[in-house]
Amino acid sequence: MSADKVKSVKEDLVLQHKLFSLSRVWAIAFNTFTQLVRMKVFYFMLIFSVLIIGANFLFLNFTFEQELKILKDVSFGAMTLFASIFSIVGTALLIPKDIEDRTLYTILTKPVPRFEYLVGKLIGIIFLVAVSLVLMSFLFFAVLYFRQHGILAEEIKMIRGGATDAQKEYLKETIFAQGVRPELILGVLAIFLKAAVAAGVALVVSTFASSTLFTIIVSLVVYFIGHAQSLALEYYFPEGQMHGALQRFIAGIVAVVFPNLQMFNIFDGIITGQSISTTLMFRLIGLTGFYLTIYSMISWILFAKKEL
Amino acid sequence: MMAEKIIPAVQINNLTKIFPVPFRKEKVIAVEGLSLRVEAGEVYGLIGPNGSGKSTTMKVLLGLISATSGSSAIFGLSSSETASRGSVGFLPENPYFYKYLTGAETLSFYGKLCGLSRRKIKERTSELLSLVDLENARDRRLGGYSKGMLQRIGLAQALVGDPRLVVLDEPTAGVDPAGSRKIRDLIIELKQRGISVILSSHLLEQVQEVCDRVGIIFQGKLIKEGKLEELIEIESQTEIILEHADPKILDQINKLVQASEETRLLRSGKPKTTLERLFLKETRAESEDVRKDA
Repeated sequence: MSADKVKSVKEDLVLQHKLFSLSRVWAIAFNTFTQLVRMKVFYFMLIFSVLIIGANFLFLNFTFEQELKILKDVSFGAMTLFASIFSIVGTALLIPKDIEDRTLYTILTKPVPRFEYLVGKLIGIIFLVAVSLVLMSFLFFAVLYFRQHGILAEEIKMIRGGATDAQKEYLKETIFAQGVRPELILGVLAIFLKAAVAAGVALVVSTFASSTLFTIIVSLVVYFIGHAQSLALEYYFPEGQMHGALQRFIAGIVAVVFPNLQMFNIFDGIITGQSISTTLMFRLIGLTGFYLTIYSMISWILFAKKEL
Repeated sequence: MMAEKIIPAVQINNLTKIFPVPFRKEKVIAVEGLSLRVEAGEVYGLIGPNGSGKSTTMKVLLGLISATSGSSAIFGLSSSETASRGSVGFLPENPYFYKYLTGAETLSFYGKLCGLSRRKIKERTSELLSLVDLENARDRRLGGYSKGMLQRIGLAQALVGDPRLVVLDEPTAGVDPAGSRKIRDLIIELKQRGISVILSSHLLEQVQEVCDRVGIIFQGKLIKEGKLEELIEIESQTEIILEHADPKILDQINKLVQASEETRLLRSGKPKTTLERLFLKETRAESEDVRKDA
């Protein structure tokens, strides 16, 4: 190679390199998603199906309100559990494994900035959580829809001498109020946002953790403390009282390290028929965006100079 | 006008890498004051025993770890810059890839990371699978690949971005002689295409066959470096290899040597082939027989 050619190699490299490339991020994200799908994680759908279909038959002697409430409780509970497990275990399983297997060497020795690798992994896992929640929601709404219609038919049949139109309308209104409603989608969205924050926590831990197990344990501890964070802050720093700069700083650090996950548990209210304000949903979306930005930045700082 | 400065493919200056030992005061010096230069289009072999600092040097060069002191650059760009890896292909020692991906999907994934277009990825995937002899395994998942096949798909992923520098860390580790020969042939082909190669190995015969220049690294220090022919030449000896030599000619040579005061005949006889060459010759002959029978 001549001197001119070699000189142009340097210029080419500088000119061709993109500081941030969405296509590279998407390649890593889609690869992460494919990896998890081929690890057969969607087998969980079988467990979920058994759970919610089983919930229909376990409580036959209950009133229809109780029966539908239990179905919604079990479904939302299972969705929260699966989404959180996917986000924490998925993140913990993939990044430390890439380091242990040295697969990361082959990725980072391509023109891929470390930040893109982290963001790609995070998006891949969040994408998987989103797809799994969509699948679970379809199943949940379908079972609930058929159950509410089944209950309505049963209730009408139970009225001696046949139900009048007014009675039918009343029953329909009362039963359907406990059935499939648009608010349920907001409940699923809140579960998704909570799982995304949990994935962010696991991402931070996996950048300094030495093993998958360590990442899972630490992330789960943060996840559980996150549910009690608001109570603890309220106890130590009660509202309405004046707090010094140091106290505010400590409260801020606690709020970043242990995200307030209790805020995302809005499905209890949705199950009992409470309405959810748009402001609250925007607040949750904003909070998730804030946490994911902060966690991505912290992960990058920790990972940028990590010796591989 | 000043002569234009030639930028080497690799330039490492006075590189030192020290690893701290956790919870202890002592430190491990993996590489100490190492300097080397690989010219564009050159094949450079870094040889040394296990733990001598070969892989550490490569990792610093590729920006996977940072140098404690000194510097390293690829085509004039510092290793700390991501852009320096824009034209590099790397094959780590005993590579693991995503075992749930097929051979073709693996190359496609790495092609996307190199910023190749969809059409280019398709072309390069077919071209490289053919080059490394894995066309038949293109749609098989990597979980079912043998060690040699993994090494070859590793080499293909290193080449997917059409790099101008290829870094190979123990490229033939754990590969059978036929696979090893195939990898060596590929390195020679890269050299013919003007691609710079830096490879580490402790299998010296392989290095001897493909490298233009060699550096010997021991306990983190580069103790010897130079052109291969110059390094392995024994100045005081001369080799004559004759084919179909008449015994009379041999007798005359012997007499001439005996008549000389300084010259001594150290050894004469039939030159030996290597065990590897014998293995390749025999297995090739055997497979041809099987093919004929079929």
